[in-house]
Order: sequence, then C-alpha cells, then structure tokens
Amino acid sequence: MSAPRAYTDSPVVTTTVRLLAPFVLTYGLFTLFHGTKSVGGGFQGGVVAAAMVVTLAFALGIRQTAAWLDRRVLLGLVVAGPLVFGVVAVAGLLAGGAFLQLDVLPIPKATVYGTEAIEIGIGATVAAVVVLLFVRIADGYAEPLADGSGVRTAEEVRSDD
Amino acid sequence: MTLDAADLLPLLVAWPLLAAVGPLVLARRWPGAAQFGTALVLAGQVALAGLVLAVVATDGPLSYVVGGIPAAFGIGLLADRLSAALALLVAVGALGAFLSDRSTHDGPYGSLWLLLVAGLTGVVVTADLFNLYVFLEISGLAAYALVAHARGTDAALAALKYLLAGTVGATLYLLGVGYAFVATGTLAMADLGPALAAAGHDSTLVVASFALLAVGLAVKLALFPLHTWKPDAYSAAPPAVAAALAALGSTVAAYALVRVTYGVYGAAFFEAVPTVRTVLLAAAAASVVAGGVLALRATDVRRLLAYSSVSQFGLVALGVGLASPTALTGALVTLVGHAVAKGGLFVAAGTFDRAYGVRSVADYAGLAGRTPLGAFAVAALAVSLVGLPPTVGFAGKWLLALGAVETGQWAVAAVVVLSTLLSLAYAGRLVERLYLGESAHGGAVAADGGLPARPDTLALSLVVASAALVVALGLGAGVLTDWFAPVVEGWL
Repeated sequence: MSAPRAYTDSPVVTTTVRLLAPFVLTYGLFTLFHGTKSVGGGFQGGVVAAAMVVTLAFALGIRQTAAWLDRRVLLGLVVAGPLVFGVVAVAGLLAGGAFLQLDVLPIPKATVYGTEAIEIGIGATVAAVVVLLFVRIADGYAEPLADGSGVRTAEEVRSDD
Repeated sequence: MTLDAADLLPLLVAWPLLAAVGPLVLARRWPGAAQFGTALVLAGQVALAGLVLAVVATDGPLSYVVGGIPAAFGIGLLADRLSAALALLVAVGALGAFLSDRSTHDGPYGSLWLLLVAGLTGVVVTADLFNLYVFLEISGLAAYALVAHARGTDAALAALKYLLAGTVGATLYLLGVGYAFVATGTLAMADLGPALAAAGHDSTLVVASFALLAVGLAVKLALFPLHTWKPDAYSAAPPAVAAALAALGSTVAAYALVRVTYGVYGAAFFEAVPTVRTVLLAAAAASVVAGGVLALRATDVRRLLAYSSVSQFGLVALGVGLASPTALTGALVTLVGHAVAKGGLFVAAGTFDRAYGVRSVADYAGLAGRTPLGAFAVAALAVSLVGLPPTVGFAGKWLLALGAVETGQWAVAAVVVLSTLLSLAYAGRLVERLYLGESAHGGAVAADGGLPARPDTLALSLVVASAALVVALGLGAGVLTDWFAPVVEGWL
C-alpha cells in the first residue's frame, strides 16, 4: 500500500490529533524544564511526550506508528537517562566535589543546568520506556527486544496490509 | 581531582546501576558480548566491594553524603563492618550465581542482573530509611522481571505472585517510614535514633511505625505466614536467578531488619515496648517450625530448599528478637552461612536439573553414583543447613541457642533445638536419597533432546567452593564473630 491508512474512519479524530501533537509535545517539554523551578520534571514531561505518541498511535494506527518509530533511536533514548545521570554524577567527583555534587562544576549556574541535564535524560528514558511498553502490549508479545524486538519493521507491516 | 576511600561508596552502587545500560545495547548485535560484559561488571563489583571491605577493616567505618547535601535532607551512605561484609557477599554471590548458568539470554537479562545487584548493594550501604525503600524496590523490580525470564506460564504466574507480595511488603515498609517521619521529622538513620527516643518509644506513632517496617520486611524475608510467594518464585525462576535470589534476596531484607531494629530503633525500644519483642519472637518461632514442616512435605527439591529458607530466616529473626549480643551475632553468622549454603544448593539443583533432568527429591535417588563430588558437596551444604559441626550453620545455631539460654528464654532455645531436628529430617531425606536411593535409571537420560550427561564443570566447582566455604567459615567461626563484634557491641 502507498500511504499509511488511518486507523479510525473519522477524519475529525485524525485531524485533531495531528493538530494537537506538536502542542502536546511542547507542553511535555515545558513540564520537563520546569522541574527545577516548580512542579514538573523529567518523569512528568516524559510521560506527557509519550502520551502524544500513544494518542497518535490510537488515531493513525498502532502498527503504522510502531513501524514509523526507529527502534535504535528508542533504545538510545532508554539508555540516555542512566548515562546522563552517570556523567553528571561522576563529573561532580572529577571536579573535586562529592558524587553528584553539582555546584563545583565549572559552568555558570551549575546546579540548575546539571539538574536540568539529568531531567532531560530522565524525560527521554521515561518517554521511550512508556512508548515501548505501549507498543509491545498493543502489538502482542512478539519476541524479546534483543533480537528482532516486539516492534515490527515497516516492511513487515506493509506485507501484512 | 582527589578521590578518597569514601568515594568508593557511591561507586559501589553507581557502577552496576550505570553499567546496566551496557547489556541492553550490546545484546541486540552481540548477545555473547552482553553476557560476558555482565560477568565482567559483576567481577568489577567484587573488586570494589573487596576494596571497601579492606578499607573498613583497616580504617573503620566509612560514611559519605551524596552531592554534599547534609544527610538530614540528602542521602547518606555508610559502610561499617556489617555493611561491608554483606556488600561483598552480594557481589560474590551475584557473580557466582550468574556464572552458574551460561546459556544465552536476551538483552534485558544482563541489565536486570546488574540492577538487582545495584539495588541489593544500595540497601546494604544506605544510611537513610527512605533511600533503603528505594533500593528495596529497585532490587525487587529487577527480581520480579528476572523470575519472569524463565519460559512458560508457571514463571509468569510466579513472577506475578512475587510482584504482588513484594509490592505489598514494600508498601507496608514505606508506610512505616512515613510514620517514623511524622514522629521525628527526619529520615537519616543516625538522627532517627535519638529523635525516636525523644518522641517516646512507647508512643503509638513510633510503635506503629516499627510494626509496619517489621511486617513489610517480614514479607521480603518470607516469614510464615507471609512466605507463600517464595517456593513458587524460586522453583519457577531460571536456575541462576533462583540461586542469586535464594542467596541474597531475603538475606538483604534480613540485614535491613537488623539495621532498622538496632541501628535506628535500638535496644531501648524493645525495653520500652516488650510486646513488640514478644510478637517478633512468636512470629519467628512459628516461621522456624512451619518452614521445617513444609520442607518435610515438599517433593520438588527447589520448593524444599525454599521452605527451608523460611525456617532459616525464622532463626535469624529469633536472633533479632532476643536482643542479646550473643544471639544477634548468631543471627548474623546464620545469615551469612545460610546465604552461602542456599546459594550453593540452588546452583547444584539447577546443574543437576540440566545434566540429568532431575527435579524432585525422588529423582535424586542414587545420584551420588553419577556425580560423587557434586553429591558430597550437596551433603556438606545440607549439613550446614542442619547446623552440625564443623560447618558455619553449627556456629550460628550454637550462638543463637546460647543467647536464648543467657537471656533465660528457654522456649526460644527449645525452638532452636527443634529446628535442628526438623532440618535434620528434611535435609536427611535429601542426602539419604542421594546416597542410598536405588537409582531408577542406570545411565544418563538423553531421550528428551539430548541433555548433557555430565554436570557443567564451572557450576559444579561453584557448588564445591561453597561447600568448602561453609566448612571454612565453620572452622573459623571466631573470625566471623570477631568481625561482627564491634558492630554488635555498638548496638547492645
């Protein structure tokens, strides 16, 4: 098939979701960056961003969305959180402070930016994990992520349709 | 940059935690490399823990505050002699268990192992009541997922049961933390002791907080009647995972119980509220007897071993409840001895299952003829569980019984002796089958898909090593008791 077929028959739903998506993502990032000042943070922001992908999947088809997601990118996002945390935490050690001590880092407003970096990492991990869980559960348990993954390739989806 | 010895403490937890992303990424292309990498990280963890132990042995306890934020708000870490010993036990146990089954698994498997080790190590080195909950949950979640890694519906169901029970336990613990916080306004263990005393040890809030903490940890310990998840989880899990959990899972929870009881609430709390002590002793005694009886009735070897754990952790809880230095030392010795013995036995069970396809006690008939060394090692480990000289099990039980007699708790002393009789019955049944049972089949079974007719050499050597260790610790029990003495004396 040429263009991905919409999952619902309702143009209202698909159009609304397409319009909303960038705004939801923006709100997710807004929530994420607010973690150092008020309510919000990596977990909440990540979940909002993932909710956008889930909504898209409901409107445009779960399989199509799964095929559109690049598995390597998702895996990269999953490991981003621990890696960023590790780098920032050990940077505190290397800068002569304690593990995870941010005010010794040689950058302006080190505590804010250090925390923000960790929040971005957490957000990436949370969003990717929620999306992965959703896709795997929706798609039925195929095979482990390591070899072939529950997320199917675009070719497989096309051959199915 | 200057790294001092105390900087090792956060690394002890951070190293496996951060390395956990490795296997996940590697396993997509090179599953073998992921497996090998995980083993390397675990070996590194053994080195780190050994280093911490060496520093603690020479310079005394290490403490650390993460991020330079005062411990009252931030997270404090502490490694005294007890923590350091258990951190090393966790590292060595995890490495041994991981190596005992080298069949390849998918990506998350190695990552989950490292997360499990990070969580267990975190519980052992944290100096913060709430942070202990976080690490308890990290290790718990990794454990549930690892149990579910075995093929088949049994494992999925067992993992779900384990998840529900474990979550209830952790939540009760968290409620206890909340009550303690309401009573005192702090969560750092060092500050909590005096603050709880100031709030009044016999105030309802403090007693309720301890009760919730203790019951929550009792679920993780699998004390009777909160033990039902354990046999299912241990018998359904992949063999290596069962070995790791049997050796370390409840052991770390028992450590947490000891730490919370004596490092936070203190012996004075027991004196102020004797009822709590009585209830703890009663629950522990029930656990000892029930675990022993259930182990007697078990047919599957892994279930038998799991029920035996229920009995053994009952003994540890008895030592905690007696509040005497001798009995507490006995509990700690029992804790270490049980971890080594049970880990070794589960490795043996998994190895025999793969090599001969035997799972039930009846299947073990005449196994000694086919693997003399393996059977001898299993017998030695079983002797340690029973608590006969010259094994470490004897040292632990002796100190427990002695502590009970010293404090005039004759009923508890009787329970300890009874536990020996019960464990003699169930361990004896296993050893008797091994040596005296009529072998049902002359040769190795190779009908169902060609099982390897010989046990894996590395796994077998691990079993032999753990058997050697329980005997060595038994002969050198003085070393263990002397090692724990400063910690115990500081508390009682």
